[in-house]
Amino acid sequence: MKRFFSLLLAALMLLSLCACGAEKSAGKVVYAMDTVMTLTAYGKDADTALGEAEFELYRLEQLLDRFTEDGEVNAINANAGKPTGVSDELAALVALAQHISDKTSGAFDPTIAPVMDAWGFGGSEFRVPTQPELEVLLPNVDADQILISYEDRPRITIGTMQALDLGGIAKGYAGDCVKSIFEKHGCTGVIDLGGDVTLVGRKSDGSDWRVAIKDPYDPSAFLGTLSASDCTVVTSGVYERNFTENGVTYHHIIDPATGCPAESGLVSVTVVCADGAYADALSTAAFVLGIDRAAALRDAFATETPLLELIFVTGDGHVLYSDGLDGILEPNTESGYTYEHLS
Amino acid sequence: MNTSPKLSPTKYDLLVVAAVLALAVCLGARSFLDARKPPQQAGGNSVIISIDGEDVECTPLRDYSGQHVYTNNGYTLTVASADGWVDVTQSDCPTQDCKHSGAISRAGQSIVCLPARIVITLVGTNADYDVIVG
Repeated sequence: MKRFFSLLLAALMLLSLCACGAEKSAGKVVYAMDTVMTLTAYGKDADTALGEAEFELYRLEQLLDRFTEDGEVNAINANAGKPTGVSDELAALVALAQHISDKTSGAFDPTIAPVMDAWGFGGSEFRVPTQPELEVLLPNVDADQILISYEDRPRITIGTMQALDLGGIAKGYAGDCVKSIFEKHGCTGVIDLGGDVTLVGRKSDGSDWRVAIKDPYDPSAFLGTLSASDCTVVTSGVYERNFTENGVTYHHIIDPATGCPAESGLVSVTVVCADGAYADALSTAAFVLGIDRAAALRDAFATETPLLELIFVTGDGHVLYSDGLDGILEPNTESGYTYEHLS
Repeated sequence: MNTSPKLSPTKYDLLVVAAVLALAVCLGARSFLDARKPPQQAGGNSVIISIDGEDVECTPLRDYSGQHVYTNNGYTLTVASADGWVDVTQSDCPTQDCKHSGAISRAGQSIVCLPARIVITLVGTNADYDVIVG
């Protein structure tokens, strides 16, 4: 019996030694929301966190994708002109999208879908719509027309000719949701949702994550590297989805005011924000607004998110960044860009 | 009140102690040696081909030169590699985003063909970043 207890004690000591090993890491690739997502978690419950995260991403796709049958956004669009009962979660996200649309003077608009479809950016058959076609569609691009009522349950009503599309905010929101799951399981990590990146905590050695930002003129190169933690980094750039017709290249970031690809003098905008949903929506808005008006977003949203930093790349080779990125953004000195502070 | 009899270690107890110590030394030595492993040299990247979320091929970049054809989900991609670069040179997918991605040469970079559900990723330890945004 004495030897039995000795062996048991030895086994327990061995187990405790095993626990002193390196932190566990695990990764998962998920196809959802029309993109490829790469999740990397660090922590002893990394596998559990990733499994739960994958389930969450499929749930959010079902909830938020306008093309998913039986989804809530799909139901709102199918029922346009009449109130549709929705979950508290969707009502809150649509309210946020409407709020951001309002505070960006409509530069971000969750009702842009019919115009995006006219260009073919909702699918893969790209085309240039005629001006009369756009003139019919543009009056329906108006987030103010979305009505959210709260009685026995939340209900959303859109105009009869409108379509709701949360594609401009959904991935950022999904990053926030997955981040919560990682944190619940005591994990740190990197959540890469098709190029929109949410950072959870810091690296195991206590240092910041290093985030390379694609060069919009050469997506195989970088314009710089950020050191950051606990935030979301999103870039909107002309290189992401575009097509060329009769020698003209048309990109997918549509200005809701004109119905055409935004011509703000920018080729990309990167937003660093504490909140993923804000980061996602504001990257589009900032691109549409252009440097001067977008720089004012930092003050406009200062009370809503504790961190909002911006990096603009102009068509004439300048990189302008907000002062909060001093010492955080490491420019690529070989890129050929001129790096400057926002004035 | 009972008192415990005085315990005196037997040779089996000493054997157990020796075994625990030996294993502890082994575990410690492994951790020490792992920590001292030299980082992978530049150019030591590997190419990972993932289809439908599953890694189906992992080849050292230096052995990946030439053309490679992958078919999935009804679409076919031609991937070319030379001089440390990997590029999608042909694709019959509707978006052509994979072709427009350009060539990749650094660890962490990837080319995604969403319609074909094929991802080409370079992995290695010589990157000075953890993730790429954009």
